[in-house]
Amino acid sequence: MDRCGAGLVFACFCISQLSLHAQDFKLFDREVQVHGFASQGFVYTSTNNWLTMNSSQGSAAFTDFGFNASTSVTDKLRVGAQLYGRNLGQLGRYHPSLDWAVADYRFKSWLGFRGGKVKTTLGLYNDTQDLDFLHTFALLPQGVYPTDIRDATLAHSGGDVYGSVSLRHGLGDFSYTAFVGHRSDSIYGGYAYLASSYGVQFSSYGGLQYGADLRWHTPLKGLLVGLSRINQDITTKGTSPNPSPGGAPIPYSSVSKADWINQFYGEYIVGKLRIDSEYRRALHDESTEGGLLLSTSDTRGWYVSGTYRVMSRLAVGSYYSRYTITVVSGGPLAPRVPDQTDTSLPGNHVYDKVVTARVDLNRFWDVKVEGHFMNGYGFGPYPDGFYLQDNPQGFARNTSALVVKTGFNF
Amino acid sequence: MKYRKILLFLLLAAGSMMFGATVSLAGDIKMIANSGVNVGIISLVDLKAVFLEEKSSINGTHVEPVLEKDGPVHQAFLQEYLGGREDDLQAYYRTLVFTGRGSMPKVLGSDAEVVAYVARTRGAIGYVSRAANAEGVKTLAVGNSPGSAGERKLISRIEPNYPELLEQLGIGGTVRLRISISAQGNVEQVELLGGNPILGEAAAFAVRKWVYAAGRSRTFAEMSFHFGAH
Repeated sequence: MDRCGAGLVFACFCISQLSLHAQDFKLFDREVQVHGFASQGFVYTSTNNWLTMNSSQGSAAFTDFGFNASTSVTDKLRVGAQLYGRNLGQLGRYHPSLDWAVADYRFKSWLGFRGGKVKTTLGLYNDTQDLDFLHTFALLPQGVYPTDIRDATLAHSGGDVYGSVSLRHGLGDFSYTAFVGHRSDSIYGGYAYLASSYGVQFSSYGGLQYGADLRWHTPLKGLLVGLSRINQDITTKGTSPNPSPGGAPIPYSSVSKADWINQFYGEYIVGKLRIDSEYRRALHDESTEGGLLLSTSDTRGWYVSGTYRVMSRLAVGSYYSRYTITVVSGGPLAPRVPDQTDTSLPGNHVYDKVVTARVDLNRFWDVKVEGHFMNGYGFGPYPDGFYLQDNPQGFARNTSALVVKTGFNF
Repeated sequence: MKYRKILLFLLLAAGSMMFGATVSLAGDIKMIANSGVNVGIISLVDLKAVFLEEKSSINGTHVEPVLEKDGPVHQAFLQEYLGGREDDLQAYYRTLVFTGRGSMPKVLGSDAEVVAYVARTRGAIGYVSRAANAEGVKTLAVGNSPGSAGERKLISRIEPNYPELLEQLGIGGTVRLRISISAQGNVEQVELLGGNPILGEAAAFAVRKWVYAAGRSRTFAEMSFHFGAH
């Protein structure tokens, strides 16, 4: 590890202890709220290295942190921004980025606008997937919320229209969000890391993204159901190895022809019990190098999870997550990229059974211990936690993982 | 005359005891608002929306929630109006804060602090124990069902008279009423749910004269009135 990570977390912890009692201040007669969080994890896996960490030896390269400040400019206008940084194995590498920076104007409860860099509303947890302290699990179900490619759905530079209405006749509440913007992935993310195993270096990865989320708080108390949709038009630029020995790298580019995500979800909370389930399907139809390689990847993931708060400071949980991928290629380079169509093969799926326990030491500080029991490694042209460059000896069929994580927020 | 007052006092006390269970159902709290908040009754839907930061104005008036630190008063508020648990509420607020969609509401340590803050803060809406001295703020009545009076525009409102004798005797408290409003907007029926029956009748007498905007059908609402020192 990673002294840098541990030092950073320790520094954040010290700052938080100071700030717990001084997180608000006045600026131009407006109250400014300052909040932050940090977490540090340790992962040990029985076989394959996971999430770009050297986890089979035990890895603490699992750190993240964020700070935000926000204030109300007028009764209806709020502004704020958050910086976020992380180091997850080979990803993130402590390059803080602007997580969100928004101006939010709410005309009515049923109509508001947000502009800037905005967290994308997608399913139950997309917008909070980095906020470890909000979740019982140390890692959200990776079949639906893959942390190595979080950038793909996390935020967009653009705007949202949103609102909520109470339905008549006691039919519950209905919330909507529609958005359009530009997605811009970090070059320290999973896509770039996977591409680097083929010698491709990304210089940019992103494009237009638009979609909507609809959710219904049903008349049955505690039951929420919803659906989300994202359409994208993604362009990748970079360099790839020159086929001629000793030649300079040549330009690389790819564009998406069809690229969308559908997500359906439900949540039921009764007393201390929370049950969630989500299904996500992502289709990427991509043309690389002007049509030299055409590939269509179809990933499908779902999970069912349950958490129960045993006592005020202890919660336990479990989930089962399934992820499958199929890839079909065309074009002159297709013979070099074999199709993946049989999702029963371990290279085309990851099935993950998880148990976890979370202890809240106090209101600001938690510790989690989690066990993962995975079948499959989903290796392919699409990132899913297992990378060839981290496992040069090849993949084992099954992977068990122990995850220990602590985090605080203020 | 003196004996009449004593007898009346005993009758009222007995009446209060009869309704005691229901009164405690109304919660040991009352909703309060800054005097500039332009409503006297708030629907449960609106109340939840304000405290979940989904709504920042009511009837054109800016509103903002004020919470009391976790304790019996806060728990009563959660149970009666928001549902859910304190952990869930805190997680909800932190979700807003860390995704750029809201801010952490003001949390104060006691009834007195909440009353003082609400009194001096434009648009503030909070809750305190029913027995708290709420001088300088207004008490809000809460309608408790969607499609209720909170969503029917109140056109004409008459404030209840505090019965003189009870006022002299220092007998006050909160009464809860359930009313039905016809499609035409008239108050059809008034049911006393809890509280002192004489105060309840005084409140019901006034509410029967209220007029709401016409609606599609009959609707219902529950509301409470507080008599006595704020």
